[in-house]
Formats: sequence, C-alpha cells, structure tokens
Amino acid sequence: MRTTMFRALGEPNRLRIVELLRSGPLPVGDIVDQLDRDQPHVSKHLRVLSDSGIVAAQRQGRQRIYRLESEPFTELQEWIDTFERTWNERLDRLGAFLRDSETPET
Amino acid sequence: MLNPLRRPKQLRLERTYPAPIERVWEAWTDPTLLRRWWGPDKTTVTDCEIDLRVGGRLRIVTEAGAEMGRYAGTRWPMTGTFVRIERPEHLVYDATSCTEGDEDGSTIRHTNDVTLRSLGSETVVILLVRITEIGPKAKMASFGMKWGYKAQLDALEEILS
Repeated sequence: MRTTMFRALGEPNRLRIVELLRSGPLPVGDIVDQLDRDQPHVSKHLRVLSDSGIVAAQRQGRQRIYRLESEPFTELQEWIDTFERTWNERLDRLGAFLRDSETPET
Repeated sequence: MLNPLRRPKQLRLERTYPAPIERVWEAWTDPTLLRRWWGPDKTTVTDCEIDLRVGGRLRIVTEAGAEMGRYAGTRWPMTGTFVRIERPEHLVYDATSCTEGDEDGSTIRHTNDVTLRSLGSETVVILLVRITEIGPKAKMASFGMKWGYKAQLDALEEILS
C-alpha cells in the first residue's frame, strides 16, 4: 500500500493534485486550470492516483469531481506514529540502561 | 505559499535521567554501550558502527528475534552522517531508516538532534526527530497534517446537492 502510494506521490504533478484536493473536492476542469497542464495529461495523473486508491471520482452531470480518499493517508499516519513510538520507547530503554548499568561509586 | 505536504514533521521528546552527563553521552556515542539499550524489545543490534566526527558515518542495524514471530529475522538498518558534535552536549545526525527488503515502502529520512543538559547528578535529554522525507526517492516530505476529511465530505455534499 505504502509502496504504491509513494510511487504515485513521487511525481510532482500528482503531488500537486493531492495538495489541491486537500482544501476540498474539485472538478477535473479546475484541476486542469490550476495545474497549467493539458487535460489528457491531468487525466493520466488522476488515473494513477485513482488506481492507487488516493483519490476517488464522483460524476455530477457532465463533470467528474475528484476528492481524496482517507484510508491511504490514515495508514501512512499510523506508520509514522509507529516510528515515533519507537523513539519514545528507545528513550525509556536508555533510562533503564543507565539505571541498571550504574557503576557504584568507589 | 505554505506547502503542508513538504513541511517537515518534528517530534520532540524529553527525559531526565539520574546519571551524569558524561555517562549519557557515552551511552549514546560508544557502540558497545549503545547496542545494549537501543532496542526495540525482542530485537538485537547486529551491526553498530559509530564514526564520531563531523561527516563520520553511523550505522545501526537491529534484527527481530525469534520472539517476534512472523517478523523474526527482519532487519531494520539506520544509516546516517554526523552533522554536529559538541561533546558532551550536542549531537546531530542525518539518517535514513527502512525495513530491509522493503525500501520502497518503508524508507524514512530524518534528522536527529540530541541535546544533553547537565543538572549535576542528573541529565536532561531533549531529542528532536525531524522527519524530512518519506518514500524511497519521493520528493514528498512527511507531513504533520490534518487531512480534514470531514470538511471535504461536507463540501462534496454541498457541490452535489
């Protein structure tokens, strides 16, 4: 999951699209305007993001509205939390080590 | 424009240890001592190299023990370079951590800034871990983000209604 996500977001235009969508869902037209890329180009990126489960589209009339999916970001956040927990526990272990290995005063 | 995706995420941890500053410094910079506490639980430090000079390399590999079940044998290397060394008060290094064999899905780059302050027989340790990048070659930095899904869903409903 993360591998797919990292690959999808490793491309600057796709990362930019995700940043745009953070403020809310957008129709394809708006994304095209803001990205300053032609429609086929943007559609290609949106397809990659959609295949990776990062965005989802909803049709409204003739428009396709894109929004971010929460799951991949939640998963990513959980992974980062694990990393943080490791450091927290590490400092606890250092405390235990310093206590246990104390050299008696002579 | 503020770019939250590229805003580094910082973690700040603080502890006070009942040990003089020199001992804490040694525990953090002497490989024979460091490998005894580095952890995490149920893992062993299989490699520990510390070339304690600015530009010097740091490499610590932890390996999951049998007690870790399906993770047994998994290796987590951390490789870094010392950026700042001011014995016994300040240690800064840039590092890359990952799960061996899953570099594409687990690489995380971070800067660790360790400050030691002596309070006589006690020592305060302040650790700042700044996550600068995640993903193997992604330009994507980590994010201290609030994704505001609720707001997004509400906005979507508005658009569709």
